[in-house]
Amino acid sequence: MADVMNVGVNLEAFSQAINAIQALRSSVTRVFDSLKDGMKNKETLEGREKAFITEFQDNLQAVNRDLNELERLSTLVGRPSESHPLHNSGLLSLDPVQDKTPLYSQLLQAYKWSNKLQYHAGLASSLLNQQSLKRSANQMGASAKRRPKVQPSTLALPPQYVDDVISRVGRMFPDVSIELFRPNGTSAVLLVTLGKVLKATVVMRSLFIDRTIVRGYSENVYTEDGKLDIWSKSNYQVFQKVTDHATTALLHYQLPQMPDVVVRSFMTWLRSYVKLFQTPCQRCGKFLQEGLPPTWRDFRTLEAFHDTCRQ
Amino acid sequence: MGVTCVCQVPILEGKSVQQTVDMLHKKLEQLGAVKQGSFFVDCETYHATSNASGKKRQPSKLLYVMHNSETPLSCLALFEGGPYLTADVNFDVLMVKLKSHFQNAKGHKVESRGTRYRYCDFLVKVGTVTMSSSARGISVEVEYCACVVPGDCWNLMKEFMQSFLGSNVPELPSVFAAKPEGLYAPVDCMDTMVQYLELFSKVRKQQVIPGASVR
Ligand SMILES: [Zn+2]
Repeated sequence: MADVMNVGVNLEAFSQAINAIQALRSSVTRVFDSLKDGMKNKETLEGREKAFITEFQDNLQAVNRDLNELERLSTLVGRPSESHPLHNSGLLSLDPVQDKTPLYSQLLQAYKWSNKLQYHAGLASSLLNQQSLKRSANQMGASAKRRPKVQPSTLALPPQYVDDVISRVGRMFPDVSIELFRPNGTSAVLLVTLGKVLKATVVMRSLFIDRTIVRGYSENVYTEDGKLDIWSKSNYQVFQKVTDHATTALLHYQLPQMPDVVVRSFMTWLRSYVKLFQTPCQRCGKFLQEGLPPTWRDFRTLEAFHDTCRQ
Repeated sequence: MGVTCVCQVPILEGKSVQQTVDMLHKKLEQLGAVKQGSFFVDCETYHATSNASGKKRQPSKLLYVMHNSETPLSCLALFEGGPYLTADVNFDVLMVKLKSHFQNAKGHKVESRGTRYRYCDFLVKVGTVTMSSSARGISVEVEYCACVVPGDCWNLMKEFMQSFLGSNVPELPSVFAAKPEGLYAPVDCMDTMVQYLELFSKVRKQQVIPGASVR
């Protein structure tokens, strides 16, 4: 209830402030109008000047008064909250046509579900790790009681921590260069350049890799307005294939409790493409199969296979 | 711009230039390559006159001015053995103005024209090389567009060329090995032109094939 009241007060101040802005604009307009019209016709030159100066002073004072009023009101309006948990998407809740497009409530639901899922997946994985050799249900029950309340903190890691993990991964591989961008808020986007072979754009959410696009070394990775292009696919069939396999790899390397290990494993896997054009297929021994080099890399051994030659 | 390899393909025994080109087209189409327009590369030769070679009377180098339909807004000027220059297409007009210094060797114009084929990330151009309107040979250019480093993809390209050139697969173009950073330097469009220039000089010295007029 208090929230609603609060919003009401704010709205009143808002409407007053809007009125004050209108008043300020019209008084400023008056200043320029009188300047534009110049001196009025009076009998003496002195009289003309005097009347003009007085009018000008009056107008300026009106501007001053309106400006002070606006400043006073602006303190009442207050700042829009910047610490919204969902960042800019929180602004969706300000949409007056809420009833018609329940976007924000749906977003909150989805966020809640995703957090819950992450949390349960985390618990499940830690249980499975502990109990890998013990199958008794009793044990599970016992540990469930002492189950620590793990927060789904992995979704809200400080950007500094993400930076550290990424730069450590970058130092592990001398032939990989990783540039980190934050084009939209806190989520990082990585531009991974692998030798002179390929460039991968990796979109992160916290330390989780959301999606990745692999393109050729000579291809443009920026859009026309100079931003990192995270959507359009490569012009070359070989890199479209590698993009598909990289997406598969993202699903394969999953360890919700240790996202930094996932990032490292994925980068190790991706790095095996540095010899994309130099390695023949481990099964058929050829370089080309239907015009494409071996684009698949085994998740364990990192051996190269054609898409059609892997099992 | 990927790694390119330009080579000359010998004319089949008892066949004409056109018949050999048709054979190559057929083999490419059997592979699954798709026709994608046409192409040309041409080359004019210029001699430096005594005005240009200076007082020291150095042996004058030949200057080649080339065009490539892949880069229609550029004109490429290559001195024998370097340096090489990429210029606007207006360069042709400049050469006319410079005719007191560089004389066009008439009848030395060589060009290669033919069909472009696309196969996966490969671009293949089979061209008939003509000089003073007589067919002198066949050029095949293979470009692997996805890779920029010759040292990375040469074996892969060789395997591809084998699939339609058989035993006529060329050696690694010497222009790549000649670079200071060697085979691992990224390619540029001049590498392709140097290869065409080498092929054209070879064709120029060749005997005229009797009765091989194309026009
Ligand atoms: Zn294979």
